[in-house]
Amino acid sequence: MNPFRAAIAVARKDLLSEWRTREMVPALAQFVVLALLIGNFGFQIDSRSAPSIAPGILWLALVFAGLIAFGRTFAAEREQSSLEAMLMTPASPVAIFAGKALAASALLILCEVVLLPALSLFFGTPFSAELVIAVLLATIGMASLGCLFAAVVARVRARELLLPLLVLPLWIPFIVAGGQAVQSAMGLPGSYDQAIGLLVDFDILFVVLTSLAARFVLDE
Amino acid sequence: MSMVVANGLTHRFGRELALDGVDLVLDTGEHMAVLGDNGAGKTTLLRILATALRPTSGRLEIAGLDAFRERRRLRHYIGYVAHSPGLYPALSATENLEFFCDLQDVSRSRVAEALEALGLASVAHRRASLLSRGMQQRLAVARAILHEPRLLIFDEPDASLDADATEVLGQVMKGRTAVIATHDHALANRLCPRTLVLRHGRSLGTATHLRVVR
Repeated sequence: MNPFRAAIAVARKDLLSEWRTREMVPALAQFVVLALLIGNFGFQIDSRSAPSIAPGILWLALVFAGLIAFGRTFAAEREQSSLEAMLMTPASPVAIFAGKALAASALLILCEVVLLPALSLFFGTPFSAELVIAVLLATIGMASLGCLFAAVVARVRARELLLPLLVLPLWIPFIVAGGQAVQSAMGLPGSYDQAIGLLVDFDILFVVLTSLAARFVLDE
Repeated sequence: MSMVVANGLTHRFGRELALDGVDLVLDTGEHMAVLGDNGAGKTTLLRILATALRPTSGRLEIAGLDAFRERRRLRHYIGYVAHSPGLYPALSATENLEFFCDLQDVSRSRVAEALEALGLASVAHRRASLLSRGMQQRLAVARAILHEPRLLIFDEPDASLDADATEVLGQVMKGRTAVIATHDHALANRLCPRTLVLRHGRSLGTATHLRVVR
């Protein structure tokens, strides 16, 4: 059984379900725009303070949107009792996990498509390729960790409460390195390359670790 | 040749003993019903036979292979329908089955055959959420036979099936080994020459359908 084929099938199925139901993306997009609006009115923003405040607002919006997006990945499968049917196939649990993480990342990236230009519009900060790369790299690692813990808590009743408690401490490296990269991309002092290097290292580390752990989390 | 050989299957959920030393031998092509009250351990036994659940103790061989060491390989041999259909409501009947063809690594051409076999060809493009409960159950059975399994395991498939569907179930089981958990003694008698009765996780023994004593 080709694990790539299985992962793509799972991701395609999740994205098709989302396209048909439109349960998540409109709500997430609305959420990130509202977060920016609140940030815009909550702070005294001028051209000097914007690059210091905008990264914080960006990561807050991303973290909370991510918690919603990743939290639903396995909860929906549990509610529909479809996870067991999927795990009863010869497809490897790692491929199933990768497919689900891929689909959840794609949904978060769709939100980022709204978030990044809106950030530029509300805060007047530069919209650059460097900014996009930093956010995309953080999304990869955040997705792998978010999906793993979403699978862990999916069978628990208080999953909405547990997921942030488990995931947020582990997302801190991405928020720190990503925050530094975004600040540099917006013109503040700091090494962009060093922050991006850290993000790549964290991505590799957590993608490998979560793939190894997924086998144990999803089996039974 | 035996398709299923189980010795002393025991399972605990925490302190609760759900299954208590069940022994079972099922020959190739044999059909067996599992009867018992709610909480008797039917679903636990079926999930263990389907390799979805690892027993706390005991041994299980399916098609001569150790069921838990060779679990992934055995998934090609087993078709399992749980009590809940477990379908994707936003996908059509065809899309649901195509997805499982990809995971089972079988050709998508099997979808039309499976839908035809279960009498679902006319609703092939209807979303699963718009199908009746009985049709959803039929679709779950169609999903279980996509990869032409040798062993079928059905957990209360009759819960929402009509009389016609029971006939279809009989057709699907032909030539395959099958285990069905049910509360319906009439269905058990019609489809299965052998019956296993469970009470409080213990086997009260197997019998031919005319001699089941509760």
